[in-house]
Amino acid sequence: MTPLKVKSRSGKRAKNKEKTQREILRAALELFSKKGFFRTTTKEISDKAKIAEGTLFNYFKTKEDLALYFFEQELVGLIEWYRDQKKLHEAPLTEKLFAIIHGHLERITPYEEFVGAVYLRALQPLSKLNLLSLDTQELNLRYLRFVQQILRDAEVKGEIPKLGDFGAYAFGLFHLAIISYWLQDSSAGKENTLALLDRSLKLTNSILRKGAWEW
Amino acid sequence: MGVVKREKTETGMGRGFRIGKLGLALTGSYLGYQFQNLFLDEHERSGKRKAYQTKAAHYIRAELESLKGPVMKLGQILSMQSHILPPEALSELANLQMRAPAMHPTLARAQFKASLGKFPEEVFRDFCAEPFAAASLGQVHRAVTKDGLEVAVKIQYPAIRSAIEDDFKLLRSVAFPVRLAGHTAEAMIAEVERGILEETDYLNEGQNIDFFREQLQPLDYVRVPFVHWDLSTAKILTMSFIPGKPLQDFLGNGKPSQDIRNRLGSRLLESFSLQLHGIHAIHADPHPGNYLIETDGTIGLVDFGCVKRFTAEFIELNRAFRERIWLRGEEHARRFACLIWGEDVVSKPQIAEKLLKQAIDFYEMLFPEANSGANVVDFGDGKILKTMFRIWDDCLRNKTINPEFAFYSRAEMGLYNLLHVLGAKINTSAALKKVDDRPTKKCGQDQIP
Repeated sequence: MTPLKVKSRSGKRAKNKEKTQREILRAALELFSKKGFFRTTTKEISDKAKIAEGTLFNYFKTKEDLALYFFEQELVGLIEWYRDQKKLHEAPLTEKLFAIIHGHLERITPYEEFVGAVYLRALQPLSKLNLLSLDTQELNLRYLRFVQQILRDAEVKGEIPKLGDFGAYAFGLFHLAIISYWLQDSSAGKENTLALLDRSLKLTNSILRKGAWEW
Repeated sequence: MGVVKREKTETGMGRGFRIGKLGLALTGSYLGYQFQNLFLDEHERSGKRKAYQTKAAHYIRAELESLKGPVMKLGQILSMQSHILPPEALSELANLQMRAPAMHPTLARAQFKASLGKFPEEVFRDFCAEPFAAASLGQVHRAVTKDGLEVAVKIQYPAIRSAIEDDFKLLRSVAFPVRLAGHTAEAMIAEVERGILEETDYLNEGQNIDFFREQLQPLDYVRVPFVHWDLSTAKILTMSFIPGKPLQDFLGNGKPSQDIRNRLGSRLLESFSLQLHGIHAIHADPHPGNYLIETDGTIGLVDFGCVKRFTAEFIELNRAFRERIWLRGEEHARRFACLIWGEDVVSKPQIAEKLLKQAIDFYEMLFPEANSGANVVDFGDGKILKTMFRIWDDCLRNKTINPEFAFYSRAEMGLYNLLHVLGAKINTSAALKKVDDRPTKKCGQDQIP
């Protein structure tokens, strides 16, 4: 019985920790949207989250850690959302991949400015948010495994030829490129992004199906 | 390059290659044909030209069918307006519908949200993710409003307007060989571009629908949808659902009797004539899929994106035909010729006389006078279509093209093609008189949206 109690206590602690993390993120996102990512101070975030600044540092050492947590939450949410879309699982690969990127864009739309700022920061070689930093690797791997599974299913169904691990990497880069385009897209309802996404996926799919990929 | 070149419809780049290829192939063979002309006698020239026509017709049809994009309509109109195609190919071209790339359910839903700000499931009680029809520049989905009304929701492919603008930039360069031969003026391309760009604005189409529903009220057998303005934007058009089968399905199923086909044909002609003479604006997309026929003979008219509004000169021209103005003397006949072909035609009296005679003969063939004894016109035998092509051929060869005719000719030929498909035998003069006898809504050019 005792071990169970310990487990329950640690489970509760973990839950509380997660709750505080989310509360901090919510407060931070609100401030980022008002003042911008760069101009918001950690003091303002802790005040808004009604915690001591020291407590904030226990959870997130820097604003970059907060941003990483944001993207982790978004990725978890996106994967869960995709798992719930039973109809989509029967759709052709291009539609699935379209839905993943579009679903992601829908999720981050309220935080567009923040995402733009994070993208800029991520370009700096010493930033934790940089694609090559060790801090982002765990997140990258989760994403790659998620995409890889979808591509493998398509391979098994004969929708595309075998791509190996490269397919997931390539799609990941494409995903990032689309978000960059989306951030700059000033068309009404960002419909240019939709057209670009649809056409590029169809073109890629068509090239793969025609066997141009095999060498 | 090889891979992109094999692409048919998906990308601007692929489309560019195909348009370029089409232009190049035509340039090559067209110039070759012109060059050979110098060395051939009249008999050989005619044979050579026929061979060229057949080859070009096949080529243009295949290319336009594979393009399916916004550029198809220009290709369709240019081909129909040029004398390089035989009647059989022209008739098929009239049936081509401008299609944008198909959207999968996720894209259609995303585009709906991008334009209306909410997902379909948030604003409709029920929304069918799969489209039930292709429409110009988009596709149509069935849905039920929160009030329980059945509607058709037309969703436009994203960013199609900029794609069209790009295509016209390309076309202006690849259409050069056609312009070189003197058949396609810049004014013609500009008129077609104007018409197609107008089609990208669904709010404009909604206004057209409201206008035509009111103006076509005198015809109790024509049904035009209602627009749900609160669920429409420039890229989303929500309309009441119109039942009925597309004309081709109606003809295919159950093989309607000659009597029904005649009645339907007569109604189509009557509706066209009312638009021409009473409303002064026509539904200019005569694709058979835009006519939904119910078992009781009611005609549902859909797709009002392409509407041609007439200029004052064009209205005068139509009146001149109705009044057989040429019978009033030479002065009137000259004015009549100027209305059709422009002032320049006066400087070519021989050509003017020939063209005028053809136009008058054609009109008499279409609308024989009551006392001529030939009251019923048989559209099934293809004579009308063939004569119309021959007239265009002569107009184009004599460089007497009028841009005002770009969409009108397409609509008129589309109508005769429908009547031909129906195999309708119609007392055309009686149908026209019916239009005159009906109390029409008073309207002028300025009232047209």
